[in-house]
Formats: sequence, structure tokens, C-alpha cells
Amino acid sequence: MIKNLSLFFLLLIILVILSCEKNSKEEPVYKPTPYTFDIPFAFPTKMNIPVNNPMTVEGVELGRFLFYDGRLSGRTHPDSLMSCGTCHIQANSFEAGSNHPVFEGGFVHGLTGIQTQHVMLPLINLVWNQSGYGWNGFLFNDNPNTNFRNLEDFVRIAVLAEDEIGGDTTKVKQLFQSIDGYPELFFKSFGSSSITFKNIEKAIAQFVRSLVSANAKFDRFLKGEEQLSSSELNGFVLFTTEEGADCFHCHGGGGNPLFTTHLFYNNGKDTVFTDLLDRFSITGNITDKGAYKAPTLRNIELTGPYMHDGRFSSLDEVIDFYSHHVKWSEQINPLMHHVLRGGVQLTSTQKEDLKAFIRTLHDEGFLTNPAYSRPDKFPDEQ
Amino acid sequence: MKRILITLFMAVSLVSCNKNQSKQETDEGNIIIEINHTVDGKQLETDQMIYTNAAGNKYLVSEIQWMISDLKLHRADGSTILIGKEGDIFYIDSDIPESMQLDLGFGVKSGDYTGLSFTFGMNELQNKSLRFVNPPESFMFWPDYLGGGYHYMKLNGKWINTDDVAQPFNFHLGIGQVYDTLAPKSSYVSRSACCTSAHCEGYTPPEKTMPIIGFIQNYFDVRFEDTSFSVHASKSTKLQLEMKIENWFKNPNIYDHNIWGGSIMQQQKAMKKACENGIDVFRLTVK
Ligand code: HEC
Ligand code: HEC
Repeated sequence: MIKNLSLFFLLLIILVILSCEKNSKEEPVYKPTPYTFDIPFAFPTKMNIPVNNPMTVEGVELGRFLFYDGRLSGRTHPDSLMSCGTCHIQANSFEAGSNHPVFEGGFVHGLTGIQTQHVMLPLINLVWNQSGYGWNGFLFNDNPNTNFRNLEDFVRIAVLAEDEIGGDTTKVKQLFQSIDGYPELFFKSFGSSSITFKNIEKAIAQFVRSLVSANAKFDRFLKGEEQLSSSELNGFVLFTTEEGADCFHCHGGGGNPLFTTHLFYNNGKDTVFTDLLDRFSITGNITDKGAYKAPTLRNIELTGPYMHDGRFSSLDEVIDFYSHHVKWSEQINPLMHHVLRGGVQLTSTQKEDLKAFIRTLHDEGFLTNPAYSRPDKFPDEQ
Repeated sequence: MKRILITLFMAVSLVSCNKNQSKQETDEGNIIIEINHTVDGKQLETDQMIYTNAAGNKYLVSEIQWMISDLKLHRADGSTILIGKEGDIFYIDSDIPESMQLDLGFGVKSGDYTGLSFTFGMNELQNKSLRFVNPPESFMFWPDYLGGGYHYMKLNGKWINTDDVAQPFNFHLGIGQVYDTLAPKSSYVSRSACCTSAHCEGYTPPEKTMPIIGFIQNYFDVRFEDTSFSVHASKSTKLQLEMKIENWFKNPNIYDHNIWGGSIMQQQKAMKKACENGIDVFRLTVK
């Protein structure tokens, strides 16, 4: 009996091993490589990565294909291709840029021709944003509505939105299922070659989280590797002093090299607030009327037009605004404490210095990093 | 299968053993300090222009963010116990409800205490730039040009100024500066040419725009010498730390926003007065 039993077990084990081997011969093994971040100098160590979407090398790679593949519209006709990369262009810090041949002045519109409600935001260092995505922060981690929480949701929203890709999630996933090469990449990233829209969201979100800018002249200055010119240094002092240009409380500085708090402020552009998509629309807090996220100032010279409505087309106009045209309203954020003089009153030299400093936040490596760029070939072309 | 079960069982019993042991041995309890921002004895209502300070300024408060360090418990024999480790800070933010409860953790020796003390802000050894890279603490950074480190406090609000307009004030405290009052005007850092702009004709640049030749530490100690409380093993003792906002503007210095204006990070005279007033801003009670 005992003999028989052990024989039986032996057989069983052999059987199991055999069947395992068979499997592994038929399908590639699912063994994703964890994606590691080198936290740049002075950057936060806490990142906004949901537990159900850990970053992997394979996921980021797949995300990059999808981000740039025009078939993300769910269509294949050359006129109806659109992807994230159609609007979010690397050379312009992932905005369209005011010099765009199709999106005149940098005002983007969807496949249907409908213009977006607000102008663009750059995709840069978003993995460190803990307070909310979008101009009004409508996506945030502890949102009771679980469909509006993180970058994964932005993918779905961008694909569905009439003023963006205007697609259909079912069609999109079916299309990618039928394209050679993609099912395999999905398997490598998520362990299943049957494509779900959730996994499309996850892959693109991983790619967007991988976009890091931390090697501007100012970063090297902060690390003591490079000096700033005297005009840039003056600009830095202006940027970080209340009696200067007073930008740092909202836009960061030496102690906050993201150059944004990702928080929301009314910065005094208007006296009447009619936009239905301001911060107030999210919080219902009356003091949030006319408030929007203070965007990062990294690569800012490339991401015009400026402010949520694109009212300023140049950095000079923005600086003039903060200098002389700030308007008082009940809702103005207290940090805009120069308001009763109309602004911070910079002289023309000071404006030049401030601009020179802001340009030290230009990160050429980010704009040309091959890991972030449009792939030469899509999976079915390899 | 059986083996797995046995291993599991052992693991479970080990874990539970551990728990039992530490429970038996411990004579440590916890302290939870609830933070309370008040004005004139009542809970702060943000963004309501309903307060009047000792100088007669009507004002509102939008938000308060502050840091304390060197939190210590005092005993009758004069000894003190540092909470956490050297350099630990507590960050408190009226916009972040979780930050309004300081949970010191189970690690406080049980027994009787006679008081508590902390540093408002941080001392010069601890107040170093880039200590905190994560928000919200990192958002408190104090520019290196002005002395570096971190804001001890940002108290933001508005007051009704002499023109009857609600003017923003940023009551920000941190390292102060010594300005070179003899420096030539050409070396002034900002606003030096403001006199030429239409907005400020006849304007003489104030001290705060002159070159900086030194820094002044403005942190101060807050001590509650005779507030007795006890900590019991495995129990939480609740204390309440109240910030009486109106007292920042009251004693010994009457602080008038019309005199100091909207921003004081570069006005050591104002910060000095404010920090002196810090003496009776805090109140500790046992709940
Ligand atoms: C039609 C042009 C267009 C396309 C296509 C597009 N976007 Fe955007 N994107 C925008 C605009 C406009 C905004 C600003 C939205 C707002 O009002 O908040 C934006 C904002 C974002 C943000 C928020 C950034 C921040 O700082 O909060 C993310 C993330 C983003 N897009 C990702 C994507 C992804 C991923 C795709 C592809 C699935 C995509 N976008 C496709 C125009 C576009
Ligand atoms: C009270 C906080 C606050 C202060 C102080 C502040 N900003 Fe802003 N900034 C904002 C907000 C909020 C926005 C977005 C407003 C909108 O879109 O309507 C913004 C937008 C900008 C933009 C346009 C960004 C974009 O992508 O469109 C630039 C450039 C800018 N600020 C530069 C500065 C400079 C330079 C200073 C100092 C002179 C400064 N800011 C001071 C809050 C602030």
C-alpha cells in the first residue's frame, strides 16, 4: 500500500512537472522587471503610485507605445488617428506649444474639432503630485468617486472626451488586440494577452509617471555643480523674496525643486469668476472661486499659452501681469499680498533677471530623452 | 499540506506569543495632543472677517501652518524626556485634519508628569535647508537668501486696512536678517528702482530691500511647567494644545497690520515683536 502510494505521488509529481514545462514552452513567462526610480537630488521620496499599478520596465515600455500610437482613437483611417502624443509633445515639455502647425497658438482640439475647455498642462514630474491632477485637481487619491482618482483615470477620460480623442474604450481594446505584437506586450506587462482597457490605462499611466525632469541648470546649481550668471542669481533672489517677485510660496524654489506645490490658488487675474471648471467646482468652497493649480515652472518657456485659459501668450506678459496688473477680489489668495499695489512692481531689469532665472529651469535632457520619445517603430512594424 | 499547516500554526503562535510578551512587560503608554486653533476663546472659523485684534484691526484667518520641535515631557524631579529622537518635528496644518492630532505613539514611560515643553520652530542646528524633501513640510522652506531652513509658521489672512479694503497679510515667521543700512542704493536687491514707477512716486526703499549681512534665529521655547498629567501603561493620555491666535497680536507688543503691512519675512523688527508675543499664545490642558 505504502509502496503504491509513493509510486502514485511520484507519478503525480512527474505529471505536474511535465505540464508545467509544456505551458512554459507555449507562452512566454510572465516575469516583469520592477521599474526603479533614482530619486533626484532634493526631490520628494514619496511618490504617487497606486498599489494596484506598480511600475515595471515592461509596463512603461508598453505605455510608451500606446501613448504615441494614433490607433488609441480606436480607428485606423489616417485622418482619425489620435493619441496622447498628438497633443502632448515631448519637445514642448509635453504640451502642444504655441508654435504648433495645427493647434494654432497652442489651443488644442479633439478629433471632432471641439476645443478643450482649458489649455494644456505639461506632463512633467507628475509622479510627485499628491494633491490632484488637472487644472482644478478633479482627480485626487481620496476621491469618494473611485473613477476620478489618478493618472489611470486621465487615460480613460482623454480617450472618451469629445474634445480630446473621442473614442470608445471597447473599440480601442479590440483594435489593439488585433494588432500584431501588442497582445504579447500586454502579457509581459500584466500577465494576460487578452487586452483590457484597464491595462491600457495602467500602461500609459506608468509611462507618464516615468517622465522626470531633474537636470536643468538650476538643478546642477543646487547640487553645486554649476554657477548661475549674476542676472540669473538676481532673478533667483527676486523669485524667492517677498519684497522681490515673491513667486516661491506657490511655485517652489530651492527647498521645493518641483517648482510647484500642486496646490490651488486664486492669483488675482480677474474680479468676476464665471468659469464653471475652477477649483470651486471641485470643493464647493467659496474661497476657491477662480482658483487653479499653480503649474510647475520647469520648461515653462515652451508651454504657452499661459494660465488655464491661455490668456497670456508670452512669459513677458505673465511677468507684467504679476508686476502691475494683479486685481483685487474677495477670493484672491492671501499669498498675493502685493495686490493693492497692482503687483510686485518689478523694474525692466528685474523682469529680465527674473526671466533669466526662470530659464535656468529649462531641461534640455528631458526634451530629448529617447526613453520618452516617439518610438521609431510600433509593435506591428518590428 | 500538513507541513504547511504546522508551519502556519507555529508562525501564528509565535506572533501571538510575541504580542503577549510585550504586553506583559511594557510600562509604556501613549500621549495624543489635540491641536486647537482659537480666536477669543472660540474655535477658529476660517475666512470669516469677524475678528478684531488688539490694535483694532478687523481680520480673518485663511490658514495656519506651523512646526514645533524638541517636544519634551517634564517630571517632578526636574528631569525631561525627549519625545522621539533629536530633530523630530511636528507639522500642524489647519488644512490637513490629520495633522491636528499629534500621536506620540506607545513609547512614553508611564508615570506622573508635571509639564511639557517644545520649541516653536526649530533651533539653528535643526533648521537646515533640504531637511524635508516631502510635502507638506517641504512647502515650508524658507529661502536660503533669507537665512534658509523652514518657516516656523505661515499664518495667512486679510485685514481691513485704513482704506477700508481687505488686504492680505502673510504673518510668516522664521530666520530673520540683519540688513546693511549703510550700503549704497545701487546695491539694493529689489524694488530699488520702484521710485521711478508711477505707483510709488517719492518712494524710499525700505530697510528690507538692503543687502543682508547676517541672520537672526527667532525660534523660542514654550514651557508648561505645572500642567500635571499621568501616563498609564497601554493607555492613551489626551492633552489639548491651544493656539490663541489673537495673542500673536497682543502681548507684550500690540501688533498693527497697518504698520507692518502684508509681508514680514524680511522685516526682523516685525518678526521679533511677533515672536515675543508668542509667550502666551499657547495653552495646554489635560482632557
Ligand atoms: C486634444 C489634446 C489632448 C490629448 C489627445 C490628450 N490630452 Fe492630456 N491634456 C490636454 C489638456 C487640454 C489638458 C488640461 C486639462 C484640464 O483642463 O485640466 C490635459 C491634461 C492632462 C493631464 C494632467 C496634467 C496635470 O498636471 O494635472 C494628464 C495627466 C494628461 N493630460 C494625460 C493625457 C494622456 C495620458 C493622454 C492620452 C490618453 C492625453 N492626455 C491626451 C490635452 C490633450
Ligand atoms: C498665490 C500663488 C501664486 C503666486 C505668488 C505666483 N503664482 Fe504663478 N500661478 C499661480 C496659479 C494658481 C497659476 C495658474 C492660474 C490660472 O491658470 O488661472 C499660476 C500660473 C503661472 C504661470 C503660467 C503657468 C502655465 O503653465 O500656464 C506662470 C508662468 C507663473 N504663474 C509664474 C509666476 C511668477 C513668475 C510668479 C512670481 C512673480 C508667480 N507665478 C507667483 C499661483 C501663483
